[in-house]
Amino acid sequence: MSWFRELAPQGVRYISTQVGRCHSRYFSTFSSTVTLNFLCHSFKEYLVIELFIAVRTRMKSVKNIQKITKAMKMVAASKLQAIQPRAENSRGLWSPFIALLGDTPGPDKEVKYVILGEKGKAQLIRDSKKDIKVSISELQKNPLNYTQVYALEDDILKNVEYDALRIVFNKFRSVISFQPTMATVLSAEVVEREAEAGGKLGHLDSYEIEGGETKAEVLQNLVEFQFSCVLFNAVLENACSEEGARMPAMDSSTRNAGEMHDRLTLTYNRNRQASITTELTQIISGASALEG
Amino acid sequence: MVIIPATTGQMGVLPGHVPTIAELRPGLLSVHEGNDVTKYFLSSGFAFIHANSVADIIAVEAVQIDRIDPSLVQKGLAEFTQKLSSATTDLEKAEAQIGVDVYSALNFAISG
Repeated sequence: MSWFRELAPQGVRYISTQVGRCHSRYFSTFSSTVTLNFLCHSFKEYLVIELFIAVRTRMKSVKNIQKITKAMKMVAASKLQAIQPRAENSRGLWSPFIALLGDTPGPDKEVKYVILGEKGKAQLIRDSKKDIKVSISELQKNPLNYTQVYALEDDILKNVEYDALRIVFNKFRSVISFQPTMATVLSAEVVEREAEAGGKLGHLDSYEIEGGETKAEVLQNLVEFQFSCVLFNAVLENACSEEGARMPAMDSSTRNAGEMHDRLTLTYNRNRQASITTELTQIISGASALEG
Repeated sequence: MVIIPATTGQMGVLPGHVPTIAELRPGLLSVHEGNDVTKYFLSSGFAFIHANSVADIIAVEAVQIDRIDPSLVQKGLAEFTQKLSSATTDLEKAEAQIGVDVYSALNFAISG
């Protein structure tokens, strides 16, 4: 095999030794890319190298994505752990109001929207743009607390007049299931009307009112307090559901990225081996042509 | 028996109480179970007393009074009394007044 060393250019020696001994990925890429460039005689071969590099880049980016989604899953899991007990405890804040005032949807009239957060806004802005009254985002810059919710409520009540406030949110059932729910808070006038008319809220009249000047004032305070309690619970449940939904999504994303990486590795190795074999065949046939 | 801090004063609630919706002010809530008395400080809220002798008390914050630090209460009271006397706008006066009310109620709760 002496002709092999005499006639072949420097790079060929590089291949045979490097193929056996490459451990570091960087090294193998560098050396094999350099060598192949050196030995490249046609446009077709150049394309093969480009493909080679492209697969390599793709592998790197898929690996990065896998790392990112894995981290996101862990972050979501820890956030969920923090917020879940708060959401479950805040349900108690809400239940006495249901016992007293019920949860009927209230009169069905023209609907205007108040949107908290970006997700809802993106959807509703497409077909109901003119019905959106207020939209608030960046709620979770600081951990959610009652004071923030109360400030939100203040903001909302200043800008809208209503008969009934319907709060739509995702109620947290478990990590894999959440249920879109609608909670209703009726305005003081509607409550008064319903109470006098009898029916669902008829028993309200049997309650004595303590405090405040008039019944109307107390009812007004009651209704506003109910709104803030329900909103507090809704915001917490929603945040819970969001983190709960993020976890399995990130999990499957990580798994998919891993599978893709495996497939790409196989392609990469196949390409690498094929190009090396091609070069060897060319050298050998060239050498034998010279000999013969 | 439960004693709740309604806006009209301390209200005692026993089984069989008339159904009531009571607005609460910052003050002391005491729960008497036989001979045990547990005292909480409520920030404010509402109390519903239903016909079936069930009382729901909904408060924004409720703290057991043995967890309240008396020295901080005194400091807060002094601070807000001073703010009230130096307040210029109506808004400042209202805020300072609220502070004074809450801290005096706290003071009364831990001493009384």
